[in-house]
Amino acid sequence: MEDLVNAVVEMMEDDALALAKKYLQAGTPPLQVVEAYKEALKIIGQRFEKGTYFVPELILAGEMMNTASDVIKPYLSSEEGKGGGKIGKFLLGTVEGDIHDIGKGMAAMLMDINGFEVKDLGVDVPAKRFVEEAAQFQPDIIGLSGLLTLSYDSMKQVVQALKDAGMRDKVKVIIGGGQMDAHACAYVGADAWVIDAVAGIKYALEWVGK
Amino acid sequence: MIEGWENMSSDQRQEVFLAKWASGEGIEFAGDSAKAAYRYRAGLISDAAKLKKTPDRAPVVILSTFAPTMLYGCPAKKAMYDPDALGKVWVDFARDYDADTTGNPAMVMNGPPLDILGYELYKWPGHGLKDDQGYQFLEKPYMNAEDYDHFISDPTDYWLRVWFPRTHGALKGLGLMPPVYGTMELPAAGPWLATLGAPPVQEALKALMDAGKASFEWINKLLPYMGAILGAGYPMYAGGFAKAPFDVLGDSFRGTGELMMDLYRRPQKVLEAVDRIVPLMVGLGSSMAMANNNPLVFIPLHKGADGFMSNPQFEKFYWPTLRKVIVGLAEKGCVPLCFVEGAYNQRLEYLADLPKGECVFIFDRTDMGEARRVLGGKSCIGGGFPVSLIMTGTPKDVEEETKKLLDRAAGDGGYILSIGCAMDDARQDTLKAFIEAGKKYGKY
Repeated sequence: MEDLVNAVVEMMEDDALALAKKYLQAGTPPLQVVEAYKEALKIIGQRFEKGTYFVPELILAGEMMNTASDVIKPYLSSEEGKGGGKIGKFLLGTVEGDIHDIGKGMAAMLMDINGFEVKDLGVDVPAKRFVEEAAQFQPDIIGLSGLLTLSYDSMKQVVQALKDAGMRDKVKVIIGGGQMDAHACAYVGADAWVIDAVAGIKYALEWVGK
Repeated sequence: MIEGWENMSSDQRQEVFLAKWASGEGIEFAGDSAKAAYRYRAGLISDAAKLKKTPDRAPVVILSTFAPTMLYGCPAKKAMYDPDALGKVWVDFARDYDADTTGNPAMVMNGPPLDILGYELYKWPGHGLKDDQGYQFLEKPYMNAEDYDHFISDPTDYWLRVWFPRTHGALKGLGLMPPVYGTMELPAAGPWLATLGAPPVQEALKALMDAGKASFEWINKLLPYMGAILGAGYPMYAGGFAKAPFDVLGDSFRGTGELMMDLYRRPQKVLEAVDRIVPLMVGLGSSMAMANNNPLVFIPLHKGADGFMSNPQFEKFYWPTLRKVIVGLAEKGCVPLCFVEGAYNQRLEYLADLPKGECVFIFDRTDMGEARRVLGGKSCIGGGFPVSLIMTGTPKDVEEETKKLLDRAAGDGGYILSIGCAMDDARQDTLKAFIEAGKKYGKY
């Protein structure tokens, strides 16, 4: 299915969907089609790292992935539909006081296609809720998103709340947003800071040993 | 207008407009020393921008939204609903912090008309945000993919009859209005006017009347404070406002996700749409600048930053129309002041492709040494100071970092010392340390 892999990688949205449908209708095992998409995403990821692909390709790849999963789903048995093993759990949200969600959305999507089970708490999420959800979801990594400088304090509160709940040592905390840097990271008490979602994936994969 | 304007080059027009602004004509100064101080400060900006003369020192410019009000304990909600509170704080801020410019408090949007119009493009205190939070943009795809042709053929008609009803709750009735063009001939004028009488359209028009009235009252209360800021000797860093056409389309119409996919799905439509926006932005920025008698046109840049798109995409979709806006504003004698949000480390060579000394670039996360290397002698640069240090550092950290930044970026002129962020919050000790260090170490 090299043609399908290529179509996804080269952002030929219509061709990719037509090919996926063609293979499924011809009786190709659906998991093989899923594999082709995964292969394509791997190559797309490599192009990100090399700096030839950026946000447009990332968003379009996510969109192609969503459309494909709708098409593939009816062909999967209930067992197959459950999805393969996840490599880790990622809890994220935009911190209290901040309602920006574009960067967070991209981080959620990228983490998902890289094999993480993702729980997105939305925007303007108070520290208390991060801790409650973390206690339930048991994430490996908590991602705190924020565009505004006021988010530094909100992020710091989340880290403090995790400490108070005795959970800080069990999770990695990563902060992301346009004004994050080493000063902000030290202030917040996070493990890492990033200004784009792709950089965040690298940390996440490293932390879960992939 | 100015004698000989018709035959002047962009460079000459900018010189004339800057000189007119820097002279302080029309301002009632508190005294001769305030007048001299105004001229000195505006002169620093003019000299830095035009690259023809080394200023006495690098001007210190603080870009801000709610930082001044927050510093004086005036919550954002009060600032948006009480013009006297807002005005007083900005007067105090200009005097107490003593930077070389202030923002224009009129650009801190006031709340009452937003309430009347049911404005949906932002959340603001009392409308989805707490009282002490500054307004925040709410990006959504307000324009559908199938709307491109309408937008391209007639952006104003689209703006009035489709976009307004989708983004302003009280203006839904404008969607019922036919195009205005019927008014040129009687057979079509009657039907057009008749629809204006329909109750939903009347309600929308009334909302516009009321919002206009509220804004007019607001600005009349604010004007004496603006006069006091100028009269105390502090010029304002923005006379007008404009945006890169790609950002207009992405921020307020298509939304980031949809627009980024459009680059693959309908690239030609994107190109036509951004081209159509160019004259709208030149007209917007220059008319505001003229009205305010201040040539500086503030242009915040968003979606062309490193990481958003590749250089070939930037070169195709983002830069050509931004360049046209910059050149178009300069032709009107305005000085575009691009606030380059995010990092532009991969894009500096593009910015270098402009006539000398006609545009200012204030950077956020771009490497300032590189910016100086690539743009030095071509365009005035500025910014580069991390806001994180203002928020979390000590005054001593800030002083040292300011000195380092000036060493790296100030060159022999053509630099404006600034924090790489339009601040909605700040801290007193570090912000003062920044401004003082700037004046101390920024001498040429």
